[in-house]
Amino acid sequence: MSTPVVASPPVPLKKRSGPATHNYSKERKVGEGTYAVVYLGHQVTTGREIAIKEIKTGIFKDGLDMSALREVKYLQELRHPNVIELVDVFSTPHNLNLVLELLPCDLEVLIKDKEVVFTMGDIKSWMLMTLRGIHHCHRNFILHRDLKPNNLLIAPDGQLKIADFGLARALGNPNEDLSSNVVTRWYRAPELLFGAKHYTGAIDMWSIGIIFAELMLRVPYLPGKDDVDQLDVTFKALGTPTEQIWPNVSSLPMYNALTVYAQPSRQELRNRFSAATEKALDLMIMLTQLDPSRRCDSTRALLHDFFTELPRPTEPRDLPKKSIKKEEPDAKRRKI
Amino acid sequence: MCPICKTDKYLSPNMTFLINPECYHKICESCVDRIFSLGPAPCPYPKCGKILRKNKFKQQVFDDLRIEREIDIRKKVGNVYNKTEEDFPSLKEYNQYLENIEEIVFKLNNDVDVVETLAELDKYEQEHKLEILEKNMRESEKSADLVKYQEAMERLKQEKRKIQEKMDLEDLNFQREQQQKLLDKMATSSETTEEILKQLEVQKQSRLTSRRKQLQSINENLDRQFNSANPFHKHLPEEVQTPFTPFKGDRDLNKKYTMLPVLDAEEIMDTDNSHGSYYDPYMNKLAKVKEFLGAGWRLNHVYERALDEAFIGLGCIIEQEKTSAKPTLV
Repeated sequence: MSTPVVASPPVPLKKRSGPATHNYSKERKVGEGTYAVVYLGHQVTTGREIAIKEIKTGIFKDGLDMSALREVKYLQELRHPNVIELVDVFSTPHNLNLVLELLPCDLEVLIKDKEVVFTMGDIKSWMLMTLRGIHHCHRNFILHRDLKPNNLLIAPDGQLKIADFGLARALGNPNEDLSSNVVTRWYRAPELLFGAKHYTGAIDMWSIGIIFAELMLRVPYLPGKDDVDQLDVTFKALGTPTEQIWPNVSSLPMYNALTVYAQPSRQELRNRFSAATEKALDLMIMLTQLDPSRRCDSTRALLHDFFTELPRPTEPRDLPKKSIKKEEPDAKRRKI
Repeated sequence: MCPICKTDKYLSPNMTFLINPECYHKICESCVDRIFSLGPAPCPYPKCGKILRKNKFKQQVFDDLRIEREIDIRKKVGNVYNKTEEDFPSLKEYNQYLENIEEIVFKLNNDVDVVETLAELDKYEQEHKLEILEKNMRESEKSADLVKYQEAMERLKQEKRKIQEKMDLEDLNFQREQQQKLLDKMATSSETTEEILKQLEVQKQSRLTSRRKQLQSINENLDRQFNSANPFHKHLPEEVQTPFTPFKGDRDLNKKYTMLPVLDAEEIMDTDNSHGSYYDPYMNKLAKVKEFLGAGWRLNHVYERALDEAFIGLGCIIEQEKTSAKPTLV
C-alpha cells in the first residue's frame, strides 16, 4: 500500500439475504466471562472455523457493556495480520454477537507450559509480531490499554494476534481526561500507577517490555499483590523515579516516593536475565524506561538491532506449540 | 591358561587370547599362529571342529562371551541394515525398521530359525547392495568432515589465544612507556600534575577503545574464515532467503508532508513567537502543564497527528491498487 497509515475502511458487513444468524453456526460453548459467552462455530458458507462472542445484555444499567462497544468500534477499523480479525457483527433480539476469527491458543498458556522450551529466536518472533500489531494500532491512534500474554493469541499457523480490545480507546482531544485505572496490574506502566490522565501509547510499550521480560524469565516479571504493592515491586526492580530521570513526575496526581530504590545497574539486569544478549537487554531497558517520554515507541522498537542480530526470528509456523498432554508412546524415539 | 598348548600367564606374562566369532572358543595367540597359518583348519577344541580362518580371529572386548557374540551379530546386521532416520519420511517408519533389525538380532542371538534368518539377511543384502554402499560412503564422508571441523576449531582457538597474548604484551609495554612519559613530563612541563594526568587518562581511554575494536575485528575475521572453511556450513538446511524487514514492508516512509520543528515547553511564550513553527494558543497552554508533561504527553504528538490525519489517504489510489497484483500488506 502506498499509504499504510490509512485506517482500513470499516469492515463491510456482508450483504445477506436472510438474517445474519443463519450465516454462522454456534456449536460448542467454550468459555464464559462476566460480559460474554464464547461459542465455537462455523461460517456456513465457507466452512471456516470462527468464534462467536455473545454479549450478555440486560445486566448493565445502560443496556450494553462498554467493552463490547469498544471492541466493535476499534476492531472494525483495524485490519492487520497481528490483530485479531472481527469477521462480522450481528444482533439477535436479545443479544449482540461478535464473530471473531478462531485462535485456539494464547501466549500465557505457552509461558506456563514448562514442557515447551523457548529459544531466543522464538521470543524474537513473538516480540516482532506483537510490536507490528501495536504499531498498527498506534499509527491509527488507538491505545490497546490491556496488553498481557493472555491477550496475545496464537493462530494455528503460529501468527500472534493482539486481541481483547475491550479497554481500547482512541486518543482523543488532549483536554479530555483518560482513565488511569486501565491495564492489568502487573503490566501497568508507572505513569498509570501515579494516576496520570494524559498518557500516550507509551503505556502499551511498557506492557510489551514487561511481556518481553516474562518471555525470558517464564514467570511474571513484576507481580504486585495490589496497587500499592505494584508500585513497590516496580520500583524495586527498576528504581524509584526522581525529577532527574523523569522530569515533572512529581506533578502526577498520585505521585509519592515512599521508598527510594536505586536504579539497577546493567550488571544486575544481566544477572537477572542471564539468557539475554546485550542487545536484548538494550531493547528491554528502552521499553521499560520509567519516563514515558523516554520510552521507545513501536517504530523505534521495531528498528532495534535486537531484531537484526542472530539468531533470526523463528518462522511463525515453526514456533513452539502447546504440548500435547499425553504423548503416544509410539511416537517416542526408540533407543537401541 | 591356554587349553590347547597349556602355556599359562605365569610363565609367559604377555600372552593374549583370541576368539573367532564362529564358535567363540578362546585360543592363545601363539596357538592361532601355529594352527591356522597354513590356511583354514578345524577348531582344536574337542567336539567343536568348526572350520576357522586366521583373519577372523580377534581380541575379546567383553568378559561375557554372550555379549561379545551379540555385539558381533549387531555389527553384521548393522552393516547391511545401515539406514538412518533421515532416510525415512516419518519416525514411525524408522521405528518399524529398527524393530525389524531387533527381530533379526534376537533370532540370530537365540538360535531361532537361524538358517531362514540368515537367508533373509542375504537376500536383503543382495537386493539393496547399491543402497548400502552408497549409505556407507555418505557416512564415512560425514565422519571425515567432523574430524576436519574439529581440527579447524582447534586451530581457530589457538590462533585467537596467540593474538590475545600478543596484544597483552603490547599493552604492557605501552603502559610502561606511558609511565615513563608521565614522569618525564612532570619533571619538565609547566602544566600542573592534574592536567597532565587528565590528558594521559584521555589518551589511555581512546587507545583502549581502539584496541578493543581492533581485537573484535580480528576475531570476526577469523570467525568468518573459519565459517567459510567449515564443511558443516553446507549441511545447514537451506534457509528461506527473504531479507528480514522489521515492518514486513508495511511502514509509511514517505509521508506527504514535512513537519516543522516543534518548540519545547520552556521555549513557548504566550504570544506567537513560533517563527517557523506551529502556533495554537490553546495547545501551547496545555504544553506547559506539568501534569501533562509528566505523563509523557508532548505537543509535537498533537501536531503530528493533525498532519497525519489531514494527509491520510492522499495519494492512495484505490483503483490502481485493485488492478495491481494483490496489495502486499502482509
